[in-house]
Amino acid sequence: MSNAPLPPPNAEVVETVCQFCIVGCGYRVYKWPVGKDGGPGPDQNAIGADLREQQGPEGDWISPNMHAVVKDKAGAFNVAIVPDKSCSVNSGLASVRGGGLAQTLYSPDRGTKARLGMPQLREGDGFADAEWDETVDLGARVIKAVIDRWGPDAVGMKFFDHGGGGGGFENNWAVGRFFFEGVGTRTASIHNRPAYNSEVHAAGDAGLAPLTNAYIDAQLADTILIVGANPYETQTNYFLNHMIPNLNGDSLDLKRSTFPGEPAAPGRMIIMDPRRTISVATAEAAAGKENVLHLQIEPGTDIAVMNAIARTVLERRWHDVAFIKERAEWQTFEAYQRSSLGSDRDAATVVTEAAALADILEADIYKAAEWIAKPKSGGVRRRTLFHYEKGLIWGVKNYENIASIVDLGLLTGNVGKPGTGISRLGGHQEAYVRPPYPGGRPALNVDEAARRGEAKVFWVGGCNPVLTTLRAEAVEANLIERGAPVSKAIAETVGKPIGERVAAIVEALKAGGMFILAQDLYMTATARHAHMVLPAAQWGEMNLTSINGERRLRLYPRFMDPPGEAEPDWAIMGKFARRLNQLYQDDNNPLMANKFLDFDWRGDEDVFIDARYSYKGDGNDPMEGYAGITYGLLRDLGNNGIQTPVRLVNRVPVGTVRLFEDGRFGTPSGKARFIPAPRPWPGYAAAVERQRKTYRFWINNGRVNHIWQTSYHHRHIDFYRERYPVPMLEMHPDDAEELGIAPGDVLQVSNDMGSVEAMAYPTDSVKRNHAFMLFGQPRGAAGDLVTDHVDPKTTIPYYKGAWADIRRKGAKPAEFEMASFLPRNVVE
Amino acid sequence: MTGVNRRDFIKTGAAGLAAATVASVAPPTSASQTTNYPAIDVAALDTLEPGAEVAFEYPDASAPSVLLRLREAVPGGVGPGKDIVAYSLLCTHKGCSVNFLSERQMLVCPCHWSSFDPAKKGRLIIGQASQSLPMIELEVRGGMVRAVGMDGLIYGRHTNIL
Ligand code: SF4
Ligand code: FES
Repeated sequence: MSNAPLPPPNAEVVETVCQFCIVGCGYRVYKWPVGKDGGPGPDQNAIGADLREQQGPEGDWISPNMHAVVKDKAGAFNVAIVPDKSCSVNSGLASVRGGGLAQTLYSPDRGTKARLGMPQLREGDGFADAEWDETVDLGARVIKAVIDRWGPDAVGMKFFDHGGGGGGFENNWAVGRFFFEGVGTRTASIHNRPAYNSEVHAAGDAGLAPLTNAYIDAQLADTILIVGANPYETQTNYFLNHMIPNLNGDSLDLKRSTFPGEPAAPGRMIIMDPRRTISVATAEAAAGKENVLHLQIEPGTDIAVMNAIARTVLERRWHDVAFIKERAEWQTFEAYQRSSLGSDRDAATVVTEAAALADILEADIYKAAEWIAKPKSGGVRRRTLFHYEKGLIWGVKNYENIASIVDLGLLTGNVGKPGTGISRLGGHQEAYVRPPYPGGRPALNVDEAARRGEAKVFWVGGCNPVLTTLRAEAVEANLIERGAPVSKAIAETVGKPIGERVAAIVEALKAGGMFILAQDLYMTATARHAHMVLPAAQWGEMNLTSINGERRLRLYPRFMDPPGEAEPDWAIMGKFARRLNQLYQDDNNPLMANKFLDFDWRGDEDVFIDARYSYKGDGNDPMEGYAGITYGLLRDLGNNGIQTPVRLVNRVPVGTVRLFEDGRFGTPSGKARFIPAPRPWPGYAAAVERQRKTYRFWINNGRVNHIWQTSYHHRHIDFYRERYPVPMLEMHPDDAEELGIAPGDVLQVSNDMGSVEAMAYPTDSVKRNHAFMLFGQPRGAAGDLVTDHVDPKTTIPYYKGAWADIRRKGAKPAEFEMASFLPRNVVE
Repeated sequence: MTGVNRRDFIKTGAAGLAAATVASVAPPTSASQTTNYPAIDVAALDTLEPGAEVAFEYPDASAPSVLLRLREAVPGGVGPGKDIVAYSLLCTHKGCSVNFLSERQMLVCPCHWSSFDPAKKGRLIIGQASQSLPMIELEVRGGMVRAVGMDGLIYGRHTNIL
């Protein structure tokens, strides 16, 4: 592609937010009819650029991947999606994902033609197009029969709970009302994990919300600690537009004007990660190597290192005594010192042990403590921003992992002040609003319920557990096995009256079958095993609202039609609820019928407001309340939106830049709680330890910057697919050589849980005997290797904790020809 | 698409331009109009040692570009070893000028660290650009390596020929 058409001055312009990661960068969508292009003069195009001349750096440019032709009900249109300079989140920066937003739009002429446009009903080994009415009728009747016979918990679900593409307050609310108020099931789970639970229970128990700081705090901090995250690749423009300007000194003036009289210097960064990622390399390039500390730990040892750092802080009396006295529950602080920090033992021993366990230098633990908490000149407290993500969340022991960083943050008083915070970095965007989950804590493991045959219905929405869950091979085998009798019942009753069809399906369920529904954009690896596939609308095809990693709430408007008869998730839930309401009325069961009442929203904003009235408008929501907010207001606020929680002050909605500035935390006492762990390091669970002893390589896994999640869009777009045609596996060059493995060779990675293929990517980014594999890919799911162990306290898996053997399966196939094997962590 | 343009270009006889002269071509009236590329001599083949790096401009004076002789035959490479390639130097993220790290054989942008693989038609290795680095089509004629076309849109332009 050697050109990109320009939007004419009268093109339709919509401000929106990227559908992908937590950062939520602002974009502008230009839409204009095909054949009505603008010209290169500044008054001939809508971006106001003079393209008769070469643009300088940071200029206005529409790259070919920022443009696409889409077919709307009204005809063919050009769409250009360009980063928004006036959005404070990204200041006009695109990332590799956001720069290709236009390519994700539906078109019958590009890869996205794979989108689902009609409901699909199982027919033999495949599917046939169906009408919405017949589909909903059959599905609702089966669900009713299951509730009536086995009770609500026999209806299992695994659904998105996120913001951004395919999520948002609207869709989350409708899904939650359907399953929790309507069906009333406890057999629920969230897209990426086997249960319905917080990923950071320990933060909640401490009185913190997951997202406490504003992005500007990363420009103001003296030190930023990053644990188990790779922000260059996965929180890109937060890193590039807010952290880097701190590391390279660009934000010095802002620091001086924000904190007059306080010593200011370019920021430092500590990154705790078993890999030397591009985040480490770019931080060093920006800050100088002397201002970046990379703690290249052994898997699962982060808790021990964090607690050793904390112990050092305490030993040197750098902890924030005033904060702990006034803002924290004193008894919990004492318990924390005794158990997590091993205060009955010599501090130097605790550090020595942690360093040995993690295979890092003791000196680096002391240095980290210094960078985090040693007062600046004049005794001024350092401002440290604590960030963590999946490396910690999906680590060796979820609850204690999160506790270790939260406690370290509290110990040093780093929350509720500019330049500080204790926050997740986040993966996807957020927009949580649902009636309370009816189950308890620890939440029920839905993968297990499905395996045991307790779930008679399994409804999967906007996620793909066959690729992403733990012990994924077994989960898939179960879908196949339990789905088969139902498929047979459906095949045998084609053309029969609906009552007979439902009766035959119920017989199959009695015999151990499971009725599977999938709701998605594409025919995913999970959907292929379903009996009923429901076509969902995506970002840009419906109005939705979400918050980003600093709780910035914005409207993501609809600017094109969904393909065929695809519908927003909220509308699909409404169809099923209305049908169930009718079926229960016909059955003279008003009690059940009423549970499915009031699902007749007229549009997206109705759902948004319904959710606000029910849960998000009372001013008490700790993180994402939005009292008084309407679509109209969000439209006026544009891409800078308003930061939640939003409260009404004199009837005016007022946002919250950072949480806990008033010093009150989310506990009954209003004081923060330290969360003591039984000991400084919990060790590996038995199932994990068994793998670790048996297999040579640690198979760390996660995302890369090109690919969003399971590649549901990106596998259909050449630019992304050619980069990673199959999941790449990073391994140390010496290990590769020893096993006779060359770049691009096909690998077989196997253990007691399963076996997957990957593409060899030798790199010294990983230590010897470590490997890193792109997770959740259609042609190789790292989850196949993960044990079914979960933290018993939280039901959160140790996804990062798989060990396996690696062998060369074959030479590089022609298909990998355009995939580069140059280092992904070298920048100078 | 540009391959076709190049053949058209040669067919029309416009190849006889003076060496290293940038041709001025009538600006297209529409972005989608077929572009005619100039042909310019970049370097004499026998001066290009392995590892050679030659700066030039293409297709006009405001388009900094680089010709590289790599260590092995690569897709799109010309010359006897199929190891000579050329790229626009303007990063397809925000337009900073990329550097060639000769030891690593990769092109890296100093602004937000997008990196590109010159052995894979300028594909993004890692980084924030949403496009490969535009590759300049080369041919060898009479002992000269000539730039004759482009694959990919140069940063900061809506069409390669302004
Ligand atoms: S950083 Fe995240 S939100 Fe921003 S453009 Fe990239 S993917 Fe989208
Ligand atoms: S301008 Fe090259 S990476 Fe941003």
